[in-house]
Amino acid sequence: MTSISCSDLDRQIEQLLRCEYIKESEVKILCAKAREILVEESNVQHVDAPVTICGDIHGQFFDLKELFNVGGECPDTNYLFMGDFVDRGFYSVETFLLLLALKVRYPDRITLIRGNHESRQITQVYGFYDECLRKYGSVNVWRYCTEVFDYLSLSALIEGKTFCVHGGLSPSITTLDQIRTIDRKQEIPHDGSMCDLMWSDPEDIDGWGLSPRGAGYLFGGDITAQFNQTNNIELIARAHQLVMEGYKYMFNESLVTVWSAPNYCYRCGNVAAILELDENLNRSFKIFDAAPQETRGVPAKKPPPDYFL
Amino acid sequence: MVQDADEEILIDELRNDDFQQRLKSVRRLTTISSALGVERTRNELVPYLNELAVESEDEDEVLLAMAEEIGNLIPHVGGNEHVHHLLLPLETLCAPEEALVRDKAVESLIKVAEVIPNVEEAFVPLIRRLATGDYNSHRIAAAPLFATVYKRVSESSKAEMRRLFGQLSKDDFPMVRKAACTALGGFSQVLEQNHLQNEIIPLFTSLARDDQDSVRIVAVDNCVTLGRIFPTDKNQSLQDKSWRVRYMVADHFCELCESIPREVIEAEMCPALVKFLKDTEAEVRTAAAFKVAGFCSKVSVDVALNQIMPCIRDLVVDQSQHVRAALASVIMGLAPVLGKEHTIEQLVPLFLSLLKDEHHEARLNIICKLDNVNQVIGVECLSQSLLPAIIELAEDKQWRVRLAIIEHIPLLASQMGAKFFEERLAKMCITWLADSVFTIREAASLNLKKLTEVFGVQWASVYIIPQVIELCGHSNYLYRMTAINSIANLTSAVDKEKQKQMLNAVVVATKDPVPNCRFNACKAMELMLPAIDAQIVDSTVVPALNLLSNDEDPDVKFFAAKTLNACMKA
Repeated sequence: MTSISCSDLDRQIEQLLRCEYIKESEVKILCAKAREILVEESNVQHVDAPVTICGDIHGQFFDLKELFNVGGECPDTNYLFMGDFVDRGFYSVETFLLLLALKVRYPDRITLIRGNHESRQITQVYGFYDECLRKYGSVNVWRYCTEVFDYLSLSALIEGKTFCVHGGLSPSITTLDQIRTIDRKQEIPHDGSMCDLMWSDPEDIDGWGLSPRGAGYLFGGDITAQFNQTNNIELIARAHQLVMEGYKYMFNESLVTVWSAPNYCYRCGNVAAILELDENLNRSFKIFDAAPQETRGVPAKKPPPDYFL
Repeated sequence: MVQDADEEILIDELRNDDFQQRLKSVRRLTTISSALGVERTRNELVPYLNELAVESEDEDEVLLAMAEEIGNLIPHVGGNEHVHHLLLPLETLCAPEEALVRDKAVESLIKVAEVIPNVEEAFVPLIRRLATGDYNSHRIAAAPLFATVYKRVSESSKAEMRRLFGQLSKDDFPMVRKAACTALGGFSQVLEQNHLQNEIIPLFTSLARDDQDSVRIVAVDNCVTLGRIFPTDKNQSLQDKSWRVRYMVADHFCELCESIPREVIEAEMCPALVKFLKDTEAEVRTAAAFKVAGFCSKVSVDVALNQIMPCIRDLVVDQSQHVRAALASVIMGLAPVLGKEHTIEQLVPLFLSLLKDEHHEARLNIICKLDNVNQVIGVECLSQSLLPAIIELAEDKQWRVRLAIIEHIPLLASQMGAKFFEERLAKMCITWLADSVFTIREAASLNLKKLTEVFGVQWASVYIIPQVIELCGHSNYLYRMTAINSIANLTSAVDKEKQKQMLNAVVVATKDPVPNCRFNACKAMELMLPAIDAQIVDSTVVPALNLLSNDEDPDVKFFAAKTLNACMKA
């Protein structure tokens, strides 16, 4: 067993909350410990209510802090993050390590499931790889983190009633037990059920459709109703798609998209949302804006160089 | 004493192939020179450094360090009569294109100039060479040197230096003019009055009209230093076609007024500010809006009312949110300037309008300065005119606005007293405890403690405590936790009787079905410990914690153990 003390973890969490990244040697231990915890989790991880469900974060660290300002701090509030912690934003390293440190410190208070960006291939294109290289001078941290990605659970089930997954459904899956049999400890494949869970999108169609993303499928209301009925589920909560209003119900409130990256890519102008489920599974959405400029660590403004004269 | 061989090594290191090594040995120049002694420093080290600088192929970082360290060699060359030896390498270091190296070399040159005895023979020729040099870099370096030595040279040299400076300010290369413009303020402080009038003002005028706005911007800075000659030229900058220049003037407006008598301010500066407040560029209006309160304190109330106030009324509805936010951050400062009557009549409507601004920053800025107004118009007036607007803001959809209101509640409370702190406000304070945003709930909880400190336990036991205890039974765990935390915050502010009642509520929370509430009860107990009697800790707190230390949830166990530990220590 990897050992890491609570006080060390508390210090690392404090440091990460200030948006300062921790030492490479600390990342190595943290990731090893995280793998030990995550390997025990099921592909359909059971989660108790009350819990607050969050969608994509995409390295927008200061907006994640805004999320905690609105939803409450971990461990006081229980959280479930539905993947896409990294890429696109400026602070993927700090964002993912903070969530991971919280997971290791309070495994029962926070659940992390895998998104399509928690992948070696995707992170090399959309920023996380470059950010690790820039901030640590080597790719070791990226390697440790991507090893953790392989251990992240694929989905979660809250009190048996709310099914949470990053993307959506798969034509090769009709029951939750079929998800439970996937060997998830690998890079996200290009096709198949594991890929679909992380890539599919709901769409106002009947049955299945081809996804314009090139991976996963489009699935209609009838598919959703069938899946929910078969598995005795009331609601599918998923992320994966930007919604300007932060959340969006579909198919007669049998599916909801939750998006938690306000002003996505620092330019989309959208608000973000989280979904609070109380102990009786009552739903309440909290909408929030991007963190104001003065709460962000901005690089000091430099005067224009003289050669502009 | 270091042996010759060692000195050789030290000097050789200056040419080491490894850049880090070279940098290190340059940083040790003073050590090397003390090893060499003053004579060899003068005759060998300094010329050697010059050679290195002439080759000038080195990394800028090494040259930068060298430029600095040569300045530190002043005490190592055998007295001030020898410091002129240092001029040669420093002059060489003025040549590189890299501005950092040049600036550092100039800094060191100024250090040398301050102690050099034979200014006339040693330093004036250097200035002459630099000022007429072929490199732009040399001429830029020359500009700041004039002020340091001017007072200590002969009349004929003074005349020459004024002429050279004039040349620099008309140089073909804009960067040189900018350097001259930057140095102008310092130079004018050492000049004789008559020369200032006849020679510097024309220079300044031409620089202030330079076709490069970067030069004109620096000229504005000089206006502050050259305060007395400013009025002759302000029109130039006021109407400048580049908004960057107008912005600089607006941004320095109050400093510009400092050296000017009140009549001139009212006659000349006031129309200028009015012009800026009506500028076509929002940036200029913003910069000017920031200055209205500061400016109005420099003029008579009449002028403020008749000339500035109309502009302010326009700015309150300006189309740019930044202008309105800037105005909102200073407008409260006008209240003490205008006095009670005018504030109520003229300002309060504007406050109210900004309090309802669609941009939340403007609303926030007004709230943050409320106490300014309170001091002028008094609590009764404030509660009549502004309170309704404040109560409206307490439900603002921007949580940061709500937060600002909450943070000002204790201040308002202490200024209003229990009588004006109506029931409605007290109810609001409780409502915030169940706000949908965590930060608001947290702030509301702290607010209750501060209110209890202001109004006393008696008041709290009617308006606060029963409501908080009731919240402990909320159906949502987030609100139950807020109630528990509020109790922990309040404990130190109430009497023993109430404490017991509140502790009971926390003990009930240790049996909550949601683990988060159970471990927050543990955390609350730890906070309450200092205020509770040891006997009650033993009879009530410890048994409850003991039960929880066997809880099925690991986090509950952890916090129970932590608080038990704190009990033992207490």
